[in-house]
Amino acid sequence: MNFWSKCTDRLENDLPQQQFNTWIRPLQSVEDAQSIRLLAPNQFVLNWVQNHYLNDITEYLQSIAGANAPSVSLEIGSRAAVQSPQESSIERIQSFKPTPAAPIRHVDEAPMPSNLNPNFVFDTFVEGKSNQLARAASIQIGENPGTAYNPLFIYGGVGLGKTHLMHAVGNMIVKTNPKARVVYVHSEGFVAQMVKALQHNTIDDFKRRFRSVNALLIDDVQFFAGKERSQEEFFHTFNALFESQQQIILSSDRFPKEVSGLEERLKSRFGWGLTVAIEPPDLETRVAILKSKADQLFGVDLPNEVAFFIGKRVRSNIRELEGALRRIIANAEFTGRAITQEFAKDALRDMLAAQDKQVTIENIQKTVAEYFKIRTSELLSAKRSRTIARPRQIAMALAKELTNHSLPEIGEAFGGRDHTTVLYATRKIVELKESDHRVEEDYANLLRTLTS
Amino acid sequence: MSKQLALGFTLPEKATLESYVPATNEQAVADMAACARGHGEPFIYLWGSAQTGKSHLLQAATQIADEAGRSALYIPLDQAKQFSPEIFDDLEQLNLICLDGVEQIAGDPAWEQGLFNLFNRIREQGNSLLVSAQCSPLSLPIKLPDLSSRLSWGLCYQLQPLDDQQKVTALIEDAARRGLEMSEESAGYILRHTPRDMGSLRQLLEELDQASLEAQRRLTIPFIKAFLQRNPT
Repeated sequence: MNFWSKCTDRLENDLPQQQFNTWIRPLQSVEDAQSIRLLAPNQFVLNWVQNHYLNDITEYLQSIAGANAPSVSLEIGSRAAVQSPQESSIERIQSFKPTPAAPIRHVDEAPMPSNLNPNFVFDTFVEGKSNQLARAASIQIGENPGTAYNPLFIYGGVGLGKTHLMHAVGNMIVKTNPKARVVYVHSEGFVAQMVKALQHNTIDDFKRRFRSVNALLIDDVQFFAGKERSQEEFFHTFNALFESQQQIILSSDRFPKEVSGLEERLKSRFGWGLTVAIEPPDLETRVAILKSKADQLFGVDLPNEVAFFIGKRVRSNIRELEGALRRIIANAEFTGRAITQEFAKDALRDMLAAQDKQVTIENIQKTVAEYFKIRTSELLSAKRSRTIARPRQIAMALAKELTNHSLPEIGEAFGGRDHTTVLYATRKIVELKESDHRVEEDYANLLRTLTS
Repeated sequence: MSKQLALGFTLPEKATLESYVPATNEQAVADMAACARGHGEPFIYLWGSAQTGKSHLLQAATQIADEAGRSALYIPLDQAKQFSPEIFDDLEQLNLICLDGVEQIAGDPAWEQGLFNLFNRIREQGNSLLVSAQCSPLSLPIKLPDLSSRLSWGLCYQLQPLDDQQKVTALIEDAARRGLEMSEESAGYILRHTPRDMGSLRQLLEELDQASLEAQRRLTIPFIKAFLQRNPT
C-alpha cells in the first residue's frame, strides 16, 4: 500500500464523511519515493485543501513514515482514473508550487477536437411543421458548405433541437469530406478557451486554430452577452471565416436583433445569411420524436397510445420528453412489465403530479400579466381596451387548455364573467393564432413558461 | 486532529449503500449505483422531502465510484454560501460528480450559469452526474431556462420516505451493524416515544449504543425507557 492510500484511510476515519467526500476523495496522487503530488480538479478545491487539510496530511504522513515521509505538493490536474498506475498519464497539469505557470502538457497544444456527436445526424432528426425550414436549410448547407447560406442562424426556445441540427450539418460535411475541419463549441466553451489562452499567453494559437477551420458551429450565442473581449475576438474570427467562405452556423434562444448585450456589428453580421426559427413541436411531432428516441436510444418500439399519452402531457421541450421516456423505459426494465398506457401513467406519476400542481388559474393570470406588463387586477377588471382584453383572452384560453376547470369556473375566476365569454375568448385566440404571428408567438411563449 | 475538523457536521453512521434502507426506492437506488459505477444512465436526478436519504445516497455514490476505480466528488450545495461557483471549474474531468441540494442555488444567476456550463461539459466529456433536490425539476425555481430544461433531461426519481414499519426494520439493521441486538418490540417502543425522522432515530441509536456499552446492558424496553427518562428527546 502506498503512502497516500494509508493517509486517506486515516483521513476517512478521522474526518466527517462529508468533508472527506468533498475535499479528499477527488484528490489524485502521483507518488515516488520522495514526494507525493496531489492533483486537485481545480483551483478552488486546491485552495480549500491547502487551507484546511494540508497540515493534517503532512502530519499523518510523518506519523506513518517518520523520517522517510515524502514531501507533499498540491497541483491542479487530473489523471485518467481507470488506468493502471503504470499506464496513467497526467493531463493539463499546472504546477501550483513553486511556479504557478509551468505547464507539463497544456490543453491548448492539443489539436482542436471537432466535438461532433455522431448520434446527431439528419436521419435521427424528426421533421415536423415546427422545424421544417430549419432542417431543409441545414441540409442544403451540409451539401454546399460556405456557399449556400452563410452564416446560418438557428433560433428557438430551449430543448427544441437547435444543437442536434448544428451537429447534423457538421457530421454531413465531415462525411462528404473527411478532411474538413469542423468544430462545434458552445459559446461558453469559446469564452473559456479564450480566457485560458490569454492566461497562458497562447492567444495567437487560439486565433489561428479558430480561424483555420472549414466550419465553425457556435451554440447559444446569447451567452456572449456582456463579454466584450470574447465578442471582439469572435467578431474577427467571424470575419476571417466569412471572407474565406468557410461555413458559420450559430444558434440562439432568440432572433439576432433581439439578443441583448451583443455588439451591433455582431448582431448585423448574424443576420447576413439565413435566419431560421425552430418552434416547439406540435403533438404529432412530439409523438414521432418519442417513438424515434425510444427506438434509437433504447431499441424499444414504443406503442402509439403511450407515445400520445406522454406527448399530450409533456409539451414544453424535447429534453423533458426524453426525461419522461427514460423513466418509463427504466421502470419497464426494472419490473419486466410491458409498456402500456397504464404503466406509463404509473411511471410518470410524480412527474405529472408536479406538473399538474404548478398550473393553476391564478398562476396563469400572474404569468400572463407579467408577460404583458399589466397588473393581474386589470385582467380581472371590466376594462375592455385591447391592451387588457387580448391578454385576458389569452389567459382564458390557456386556463382552458392547461387546467381541468369548467368554463363557468374559469369565467368566475376572471372577475365573475359568464362561461360564454370564456368560450368566445378561446375561439378568438384559436383564430388569431392562425392569422397573427405575434399572438401565435405570445401564446407559445406563455405555454412554454407555464409548462416548463 | 484539529478542533475545527472535529466540530464539523458528521452523520452518525457512515453513509454507504449497505446502510441505506431502500424500501420502495429500490429502483432509484439500483440505478443510482449503476450510474456511480459508470454503467446505465449518466445523469440521474433524485428528489424528495427531508429525511428521504438524498445526502446519504449521494455520499454512498462517491464510495461506490471509488471502489470501481472512478474518480468522484460530492458537493453539499447547502454550503454554497461558503463556496463560489468556481468550485465547478474543470470538474468534468472527474468520472462522477454528486451535487446535493440543487434548490440551494436556484435563482442565483452566477451559480445557475456555472451549473449550466458544468452540465454541458460533463455531457461532452461523457462522465456522470448525480443531482439531488427537495423538489422535482419542474418545480425548481431555476431562472435560466437552458439549465431548467437540462435538469429535466435525465432519469428522475422521487424518493419516498420510510413508513413506520420500515423504520423499525431500519433501526434493527442499523443496530445489528453496530453489533447490537435490538428486538422488534424495542424498536417499536422507540418509534412510539421519540421523534420518528431517520436522522433523530440514528442519533438516538448512537447514544443508546454508548449507554448500553457503559452500563453493559442489552437494548431492552426497560433500559430504553430509563435512558429516555434521563435524556428526554
